[in-house]
Amino acid sequence: MSADVNGGATQSQKLMIFVLSMSLYGLATLFTELIPSFQVGVVEFSVEFFLFIPLTLAMLFDPLPVALGAATGELVFSEIMLGQFGGLGELEKFLTVAIAVYIAGTVVKNPKNMAVVGTAAFFGTALQLAMSALVDILKVQFAVEDFEAVAGLPESVFATEGFAFANDLLFSGILFCLLPTLFLVPKLHGKIEPLLGMQPRTPENAPSGAAIKLMLVAIIGFVGAVAFALVSEAGMSLIEWEADWVESGTAIAVGVIVAAIIAIVVLAVMMKKSNKKDLA
Amino acid sequence: MENAMSKTMNKLSENVLDKFSMDFLRNQVLKNAYGNTDTVIAKLDPRILLVWYVFFALVPWFVNNVPFLLGCFILVLITTALARVAGLVLFVFALGVFSQTGYLFVVSLLFGGDASTVLPLLILTLKVATVSLASITVFSGLDPDRLSNGLLWFGVPERLSFSISYAYRMLPMLMEEFQNVLLSYKLRGNPPSHDTLMGKIRYLIYQVKVIMQSFYPLMLNTAKRARTTVEALELRGYRNAASNKEVRKIMLSSLRVQYSDFMFIAISVLWVALSALVSTLI
Amino acid sequence: MNTVEIEDLSFTYPGASQPTLLNVTFTIEKGDFLAIVGNNGCGKSTLCKVINGLIPHFIVGDMQGNVRVCDMDTRTSDVGTLAQKVGYVYQDFENQIVRPTVLDDASYACLNFAFKDYEERGRRALALCGLEGLDDEYVWQLSGGQTHLLALAGAVSLQPDVIILDEPIAQLDPKHADAIYEVLKDLNENHGKTIVVIEHHTEYIADYCKHVLLLKDGTVRWKLPAHEALRRVEELEASDIFPPQVTQAAHRFKVTGSLAHVETLPTTVGEGKAAFASLKRDTHGNDANQMTDTPAVDGEASRGNTSDAASSSAAPAEPESESDAPDALASSAAPEDASNMPSVPAVEFNDVTLGYRSVKGDRHVVLDHFDLSINEGEKIALIGSNGAGKSTIMKLMVGLLKPAAGTVSLFGSPIGNKKAEEISRQISLVYQNPEEMFIKDSIENDISFAMRVRDVPQWEEKTAQLLERFRLTDLRNRDGRLMSGGQMRRASLAIGIALNPSILLLDEPTANLDIATRREIMAVLDDMKDIIKTAVIATHDMQLVCQWAERIIVLCGGKVVADGTREEVFGDKRLAQLVGIRPPEIFTMARALDDDARCFTVDEFVSGFKEA
Repeated sequence: MSADVNGGATQSQKLMIFVLSMSLYGLATLFTELIPSFQVGVVEFSVEFFLFIPLTLAMLFDPLPVALGAATGELVFSEIMLGQFGGLGELEKFLTVAIAVYIAGTVVKNPKNMAVVGTAAFFGTALQLAMSALVDILKVQFAVEDFEAVAGLPESVFATEGFAFANDLLFSGILFCLLPTLFLVPKLHGKIEPLLGMQPRTPENAPSGAAIKLMLVAIIGFVGAVAFALVSEAGMSLIEWEADWVESGTAIAVGVIVAAIIAIVVLAVMMKKSNKKDLA
Repeated sequence: MENAMSKTMNKLSENVLDKFSMDFLRNQVLKNAYGNTDTVIAKLDPRILLVWYVFFALVPWFVNNVPFLLGCFILVLITTALARVAGLVLFVFALGVFSQTGYLFVVSLLFGGDASTVLPLLILTLKVATVSLASITVFSGLDPDRLSNGLLWFGVPERLSFSISYAYRMLPMLMEEFQNVLLSYKLRGNPPSHDTLMGKIRYLIYQVKVIMQSFYPLMLNTAKRARTTVEALELRGYRNAASNKEVRKIMLSSLRVQYSDFMFIAISVLWVALSALVSTLI
Repeated sequence: MNTVEIEDLSFTYPGASQPTLLNVTFTIEKGDFLAIVGNNGCGKSTLCKVINGLIPHFIVGDMQGNVRVCDMDTRTSDVGTLAQKVGYVYQDFENQIVRPTVLDDASYACLNFAFKDYEERGRRALALCGLEGLDDEYVWQLSGGQTHLLALAGAVSLQPDVIILDEPIAQLDPKHADAIYEVLKDLNENHGKTIVVIEHHTEYIADYCKHVLLLKDGTVRWKLPAHEALRRVEELEASDIFPPQVTQAAHRFKVTGSLAHVETLPTTVGEGKAAFASLKRDTHGNDANQMTDTPAVDGEASRGNTSDAASSSAAPAEPESESDAPDALASSAAPEDASNMPSVPAVEFNDVTLGYRSVKGDRHVVLDHFDLSINEGEKIALIGSNGAGKSTIMKLMVGLLKPAAGTVSLFGSPIGNKKAEEISRQISLVYQNPEEMFIKDSIENDISFAMRVRDVPQWEEKTAQLLERFRLTDLRNRDGRLMSGGQMRRASLAIGIALNPSILLLDEPTANLDIATRREIMAVLDDMKDIIKTAVIATHDMQLVCQWAERIIVLCGGKVVADGTREEVFGDKRLAQLVGIRPPEIFTMARALDDDARCFTVDEFVSGFKEA
């Protein structure tokens, strides 16, 4: 029964916030997945049209369940429901959205202070975009053989990503995050909290977490994401090196067959473990 | 130029609100989730499928051999067909593949790329397509409850598997609510006329603004719902289930590996090995 | 033996200045069927959440006193254990259903509490609630009544000793409402469950409940056997609870000195028969009453031949009594007015077909070659069971749905050719759920929105007038969602008529309201008659239908099965059987006394019958 001390909420209130954030952001990302037309010319606007939803909620409620709920919502509604679950890319998205929303939400101590709300919304978006642009570049590098050697490709990747980042920041940051957040936070403040049985956030009960600690968490999270991508890249070159060493297609085929056999062994163990009865 | 621009704008503005039928979207998503429970893929054990998926989600990234990739691609193409995936999902897939790689090619041409740029990009596209189709087979082919049970078995947090089935439960309600709010705007609002190009741009901006603003009522209404839902979850033992190992066991007891699962794996392995062999012979 | 014992309970929500519950003390016996009554905001729901342990375990606040449920102190008990003793069905029950399929949801709680036979328990609960055979149905394909039964099944599956339902029938047609109460009765009588309902519908209390507890301003006024409680007419009315119409009528007679021999007021039609045995229909008074009070005259003009055909074909049972009845004069007196009929109907459905595809791909037809015309100036009630197509018809009229075949026309031109702008000036729809009408942050902005964006001259004054007219001026800066039920309805009506449409559509304007608020809304509707020419109300509320409508259209399975005045529609017993509509209790009472009587309101009854 930990009452509202330091903006803390009870377990069930956290679940309410999680459900709220998940449903709304999930639904919104489901739409985003279906809006192709914002690809003007050659540059794709991977605009986070609806990032303002978790940003707004994170500034009004406990930021952690909001951040996790939003990331889960995107994963479930737009990735799993539409079958677009790419694996690594989604984990990266999960991390970047969660980190950005959490930080933006924690920075705001008083939702009535519009300057702080606006700044937090803008930099929260910038953080998310910067993190995902970096991972994107690494991804292409990693997937294309002899990335550096392909004529014009590295430049085009950097240029596109850079341009897209600037553009997205302009669009996402200002049009779709800053303005809606500035519109919604003051309107919802004091209205939405009682619906969940909570006290509105004031400077006195704002979520704790010193700025330094925050930055630390952010840096660790970001470095983690980058390291993750770099390790994958290293793993790739390792295999490539092996492939060079063998320099023979048959070896690749053998390698794949070995991989398949490993998979089968894993399967066999798994089946044994889970249902002996069935096999008998 | 003017004409092309206005055509694009036309498409843009029509896409956002007018032609965009919420009912269609809802039907497609639900159909995709529950409408194909009697397919070969849906009857497979979710754990087997997830392992299968991990293979096809990872291996293509590490291989650059075209015949082999093509082999994998054909296999996942067949499984996608078997899963009888909804049209919308395939559309989103096509869109995703193009937006990930198609535009890169165009840009690289600008930076002095030539025909030699095409091959790596083609391979990249093939990789992306294979991975995406594998994920479509598994995540769209399985019904959500079996999928979340499968994930649960692999130790994915319970919160996620709950979220999956809850999301499907909520989707129709959320969409209806969103639709009603948008309809309120449609009935009471006064969109700018959109006959001229400027008008179309204004109309587009208007629509985007309406969508943004509609989240104000939507947030409040959903907050009300969330409260009842969470209270009801507490009463219905949700938290008990999260901490009780016994519940997990009961939930997972419905999973069964059958001969069809072995068959599926065997055929997949055979196919992959064959593609590998072909790739060495070429 | 007592299942629930509450001793000196007080509860204050965090941040509230007043306690919501104050010194509440009462007990509920095992096997009781208790109705908790009281006006909106008197603490009924809070009290129920105390019984099931949500307070104090999940809702924080200041709680004093003792609550014992099934010999467990709720304060020290584990909520999981309590949940297995007390089942709870919310008023917004659709939000408590968390799984996509029926059996899944019914057995969800059992699974969570690790019962190995959870599916079996779920199935048993479904059978108890009359949902057998729907195991694999998806919850979003269920009707409102079925969804409510599913929420109940979810609560029943844990086999709790006590089941609490918050306003179980607020959104249901009489047939589904009966179904819910029959299930509750079965659970109570044959399975030994203690049932607690929060209920406004006193007719159902009279028929099903054993005790009534009156809550006022957070304190218990009394707990009495149901029939005794319902006879305390004045006390109930002071709490915005209206006793059954039969009781009200008897009370009115007593006040005027009649029925001196009747010692206890009747609460059901059965009791009423004995109590009113000495009454005779005052044919003169009744006729006069009927003639002045029946608004049927102009509605009659438009019905034309189709309705006559419909009602006569549906009612071969007793055509004689129908035409012999003196009251029927009112309905047959008007056809001459047909000459005044406007040449172009306000709304016309021409051969409209509409269906939808379910998840598995089968088509469901909602409307099949549907024809209907509505003329200017009519006050129409659209009735029929849940899922008969009422909302669909309304959505077609405002162009929110497009017919698969056929046309819907407004004032002679097809709606498909009109711009949204034009439609919104001609017709307006007030949703069933007022919360979906509130898209701005204050009701003042909501009311003015449509006028402002259209640059209606003097929109400021018009908004102020509307606020004044609907008594919302003091609330104008509040968000609609945060107001009480009645205020929300008033605000949604104000929004609906802001553009001064010629046709107003209202979807269930009185659902979910306590009786006082409902009266208030009815008064507002009456008041609006002069500004809105044509109005259509879709409703289950037969008292509203009888007091307000001039023409009643009965829908069943996407077809018009009857179309006529209240005399014609309610006079036809076969029709009632067919579509599950039910006249107000007082109408049934009057007919039980005299088969020719047609009393639709308590007023008509009291003035229509005199002591012999």
